[in-house]
Amino acid sequence: MIARLTAVYVAIFAAVLAGISFYAYWLIGGQYRSLLAPALDTPEGQSGYHGAMNHVLVTIVAADVPVLIAVGLLAYALARASLGPLFEARAREQQFAADAAHELRSPLATIATVAQAARIAADPQTREHLDTIARTALDASALIGDLLTLAREPRPGLLQREPVDLAHVVTTCAREFDARARGAGLELRVLASGAIVDGDERRLRELARNLLENALRHAKKTIVLECGGDASAAYLRVRDDGDGIAPGLRERLFQRFAGGDAGGHGLGLSIAHWIASAHDGRLELEGEMPGACFVATLPRLS
Amino acid sequence: MRILLIEDNLPIANAVRAMLEARKFAVDVATDGVAGLDYLLRETYDAAVVDVVLPGKTGFEIVREARAESIHTPVLMLTARDAVEDRVRGLDAGADDYLIKPFVEEELIARVNALLRRGDKPVSSVATAGKLIVDTGSREARYDGLALDLGTTEFRLLEFLARNANIAFSRAQLLARVWDYDFEGSSNIVDVYVSQLRRKLRVAGGRDVIETVWGVGYKLTA
Repeated sequence: MIARLTAVYVAIFAAVLAGISFYAYWLIGGQYRSLLAPALDTPEGQSGYHGAMNHVLVTIVAADVPVLIAVGLLAYALARASLGPLFEARAREQQFAADAAHELRSPLATIATVAQAARIAADPQTREHLDTIARTALDASALIGDLLTLAREPRPGLLQREPVDLAHVVTTCAREFDARARGAGLELRVLASGAIVDGDERRLRELARNLLENALRHAKKTIVLECGGDASAAYLRVRDDGDGIAPGLRERLFQRFAGGDAGGHGLGLSIAHWIASAHDGRLELEGEMPGACFVATLPRLS
Repeated sequence: MRILLIEDNLPIANAVRAMLEARKFAVDVATDGVAGLDYLLRETYDAAVVDVVLPGKTGFEIVREARAESIHTPVLMLTARDAVEDRVRGLDAGADDYLIKPFVEEELIARVNALLRRGDKPVSSVATAGKLIVDTGSREARYDGLALDLGTTEFRLLEFLARNANIAFSRAQLLARVWDYDFEGSSNIVDVYVSQLRRKLRVAGGRDVIETVWGVGYKLTA
């Protein structure tokens, strides 16, 4: 960012400087020509004129270069002074969010762990209550984790990247969801062909899982989970045959808490979108109603 | 089965102890890092569950120091943070697995059981094949003395090939053994990793360390 701003400053100044220099060169050339006008037709006059103009050119360039270097340094200092505090404030804010999330998750971890331990010796009714306590604490902690993720700009630095086959991601997620889909009377169809991306496998699974969770809530009969790719891009697609996304919702579908309908806390699609962006890819809603079809497009491993 | 639990948060320590004891494990609890490392070095455990943030010594330090003392007790790290850096640091320090707090009880038990299964068949932490040395304890790989900078999966693949040097494996076998993939499909992920490993080995002076066996797959020659 600082480098980019410096480059902009320097480019602007260099353009101005070049303009002035050309103008000066042209002006001086004109003066010389009128001064030497009578002798300009002779060979001596010609070579005298060219020699003088070469000298002018060298002088101008010799004057321009140090000025440009000085301006570069000055521009860098200026860019740093103006952007530095902004970056620091942003970093402080992120650190605060991370610390706050950590502090909030610690007591939730205690609640979830103790509630789960207590149910070992509990009677069935108490066990049910303790399950509710544990599940709520686990959900709240997961929500904090998601919010913390979304508070950060998606970028590859936040991922643990390795070559990953999307087909593997798809088949493992399909196995996880198969029983639930069948339990809900849905058919989960899987079409996986190999597509290798430079990705964070854990995050890519989360992306697929979030899209499947969403499909599971809306599908009527079938969910189709696919992946594959061509020479440049890989894709992961989840399609359901539900009512689709209402036109009014399409615009802000990936914004936080936009979904917030039947179950789910409304961050699943935002997280999926974040994960795709962090991989230098994108998540889009494809086609028109009926049914919703989400496609994550990711750059293929080169 | 004896398990060491190093956790300074008493309610959590007691809860995890109750979960493990309900499965008939014998559990020792240490509530600070120094005592924890001391237990780990002096006693024999089948597995250890270690929190990252501890007074005295961090979980990372405990694992690193225990590994330096040739203690190969499998370690499950408990971490409150989900940051990539923390996960990588834990595994780099020599932990075998990590679990993010809060966790579901079944998940904890499954991970501990997986560690115990791994501990059943003790293998040396160092695999040597010719000029290649892969140390799972310190998570270091060297060729002819030069350190190789490897990703997690690259390291696992190289370790597997080094432990089974001079044996040819098909791509499907490697997918099953190194990746846990149970499909063959049209994936050429194995080729991608082999070519990365070859490139890194070549930089360290190792040519033709991993051979292509036509019609079969790959083998590492020692």
